[in-house]
Amino acid sequence: MSLLTMILKMSEGLGKTCAIFFLTLLFSLPLGMVVALLRMSRSKIISSIMRFFITVLRGTPLMLQLLAVTYGPYYLFGATVARNKLIPVVIAFAINYAAYFAEIYRGGIESIPVGQYEAAEVLGYSKFQTFMRIILPQVIKRILPSVTNEVVTLVKDTSMAFTVSYQEMFTIGKQIANSQTSFMPFVVAGVFYYLFNAIVDYVMGRIEKRLDYYR
Amino acid sequence: MQENTVNAALTQEQNILSVRGLQKSFDGLCVLKDISLDVEKGNVVSIIGPSGSGKSTLLRCVSFLEQADGGDILYDGQYALRGGIYAPKAELARFRTRFGLVFQNFQLFPHYSVLKNISEAPILHGEDKEEVRERAMGLIAKMGLEGKENAYPYQLSGGQQQRVAIARALAMRPEILFFDEPTSALDPELTGEVLKVIRQLAEEKMTMVVVTHEMPFAKAVSNRVIFMAGGVIVEQGDPQAVFENPREERTKQFLRVFER
Repeated sequence: MSLLTMILKMSEGLGKTCAIFFLTLLFSLPLGMVVALLRMSRSKIISSIMRFFITVLRGTPLMLQLLAVTYGPYYLFGATVARNKLIPVVIAFAINYAAYFAEIYRGGIESIPVGQYEAAEVLGYSKFQTFMRIILPQVIKRILPSVTNEVVTLVKDTSMAFTVSYQEMFTIGKQIANSQTSFMPFVVAGVFYYLFNAIVDYVMGRIEKRLDYYR
Repeated sequence: MQENTVNAALTQEQNILSVRGLQKSFDGLCVLKDISLDVEKGNVVSIIGPSGSGKSTLLRCVSFLEQADGGDILYDGQYALRGGIYAPKAELARFRTRFGLVFQNFQLFPHYSVLKNISEAPILHGEDKEEVRERAMGLIAKMGLEGKENAYPYQLSGGQQQRVAIARALAMRPEILFFDEPTSALDPELTGEVLKVIRQLAEEKMTMVVVTHEMPFAKAVSNRVIFMAGGVIVEQGDPQAVFENPREERTKQFLRVFER
């Protein structure tokens, strides 16, 4: 198999790699905020449940979580395994990343001085207005570098979908490597991920720059 | 007898703020014990005293940032706190529009320009945007910050930031303005510009309560000085009396430190 066919074949899986990447961000970024806010809830029960949820998701391998979400329903209830693996893959990724984002958000929110809340309160901002207008914009600026880190990791983590044989780029590459007994597909995959992350770095850098107007 | 009652009602009406028997403790530690004071319209009241005496807590209680345990707080003779029980939330929100608070550390919103810092709150309260903008620009000029409306807080000196914070509070058109050690976070050479602004407001008969360590300023600007220590008002009176002829030993002891 020529290098070109190899690249073309693997490119076919890029769409699915992108699907995991973008859908995971789409769901995990807001879900992480919900988890963070519940984690900071004044109710001991809710915050303890969230803390447990976060430790489980951060304390066990993503690969295991992928297997659990994809095949768990079959072993537990005898449900048929989803034909379109994208659904369980995205569910597992989104929940896992939400746990990481939640802790980043929490750190960001807790780093904002209490005085900012008090100033807004005295000026008559509602709780919601205070959060949306005063707190959140400052939190986003502060956590952006940590979020970039996670996003870069996510690009590489999409390859984990091979464990449930979802036909994304790395899974295809692995299959070619097996059938052709060649290491080349892995090199190609490495270059793909590197280029993908170059774009991520560029985009996140632009966003950071746009928030550079204040300190 | 009847005349007396009428007089009492009249004075009460002139009090923008009345505090009676205010109590507050943190984890069993009593920081405010039975605090009572009145602030008449157009008066400037300075609160002095050693750190930990409860001055700031008092300001934080009357601006609802701290929950008092007992006593009364009245604005214009209306109860915001009565016998340790607060008025309903919606009413407290209305009381909040009556006062402004200037913090020691300014607490400007760093991601907003000077103009937006000053004008957003009144706009959120439903006031006309153009009108608020004009008022904000007027306040910026009044604070001696012409040309700074589009600057961000980090681009300003501490003294300028504090003046923006004062403008922000004034933009809400409060009946009374509270200052919590407004110059304590400033370099000595910058305190003057902030005190000048407060002095100017005093001349315009703005009602103010100022917690401060600037004794000459307190003496010059106030109609009344309150000396607090250990969570109680030890002594109060006109500034001349308190500074020149303090009656209480504790006051004398405190003021002696500043004479050196």
